[in-house]
Amino acid sequence: MSNKAVVFDSGTLINLSLNGLLYVLEGLKKNFKGKLLITEQVKYEVIDRPMGISKFELGALRVKALLESGVLEMPESTGISSSLISSRTSEFMSVANKVLVFKGQPVQIVSAGEMSCLALSAELTAKGVANIISIDERTTRVLCEEPRNLERILSAKLHQRLQTDISKLKMFSNFKFIRTTELVYSAFKLGLIAIEDKKALEALLYATKFKGSSISFEEIEQLKRM
Amino acid sequence: MDQEVLHTIQVLEDTKRGLLDGDSLKLKELSNETLHSACGIQDSASLTIAVLVYSLSKIIERKDGVKVKDWDLFVKKFNSFLDLAIKALKENRLDRVESYLVMARKSLTGLGSIKHYVQEVLKKASINKAGKIYEHGISLGHTANLLGLTQWELAEYTSQSNAAENTDNITLDVKKRAKMALEFFS
Repeated sequence: MSNKAVVFDSGTLINLSLNGLLYVLEGLKKNFKGKLLITEQVKYEVIDRPMGISKFELGALRVKALLESGVLEMPESTGISSSLISSRTSEFMSVANKVLVFKGQPVQIVSAGEMSCLALSAELTAKGVANIISIDERTTRVLCEEPRNLERILSAKLHQRLQTDISKLKMFSNFKFIRTTELVYSAFKLGLIAIEDKKALEALLYATKFKGSSISFEEIEQLKRM
Repeated sequence: MDQEVLHTIQVLEDTKRGLLDGDSLKLKELSNETLHSACGIQDSASLTIAVLVYSLSKIIERKDGVKVKDWDLFVKKFNSFLDLAIKALKENRLDRVESYLVMARKSLTGLGSIKHYVQEVLKKASINKAGKIYEHGISLGHTANLLGLTQWELAEYTSQSNAAENTDNITLDVKKRAKMALEFFS
């Protein structure tokens, strides 16, 4: 079995598809010789559900083609069953959706899609497979990396200090995250982008931001200078 | 009576007035107010109200341009459903509140002369509210679920918000993250 894997949330695949950049996945896969994985929950959001919406059908078909050609794979390809992922997803959801309390009631903050990425990543780690999660939306990333920041974001918006019990979040530590922006940055640095222009990197970074990657303008400026 | 319920009753009363006065600005404000409840408590009634009221504000803004037939009759009908919803709230019949709000929505989508326009406005209102909920710190997947949208529909819209510029959004130095990605893929 490969000893490296990337776990994709819906946002990254949607971002790459909308930007016409799905082809970089094939190049990245050949380069790092690891697996590119999606869960059943992410497949539903990126392929199955939009298949009935004319505006997004083509995008969904493009991702489906990657799954059929084996560029993207399901957890079963690593010996991890989707039923195990579903069960672990429920565990992560149950904790995450109880950690912040507003007016005596827990605030539901995450969905099964996002938590399924954590579940798969945790199972891969347990099997000794080095892995990262590629996710564009910020809530899951902030919840795992700096949960106090999430509490501050919600408290500021709701104009009320939320009650939190961060100690419940031990199972959310030790995940590694990148966004589409860093993925495309890597593809560019590895010579996998089919655009040759001095403005290409800048254009790529901004394109990922404008299709959902939660990255600030300042962060993009820093990446441009690297 | 619960504070949230009292607030919802007030919002519905003000919506009725705003609709009668054709006050789109007031309706937009009411929609934003309702969103706070929608983010915290996440009851479907608050979400429906937020989307409906925002849609009404948009339709009123362009009412003369899109030439709505029977507008006064619609306002009368719509407000009668809000009256029923208010009554149900006072009686703590939350299931009925939901169904009266659905009827109010149907009266809006039943505006035959501008049916397609109304559907487009409702969709855009849902996307707009989703953007606001995401800004509040709710994940994109859960936001999409709450409003019955797909993440494909939200990908561009969320990037228009200032959520990514919030310093609390930065949880790891971007150079370190990029270096980690490049090493991983090399």
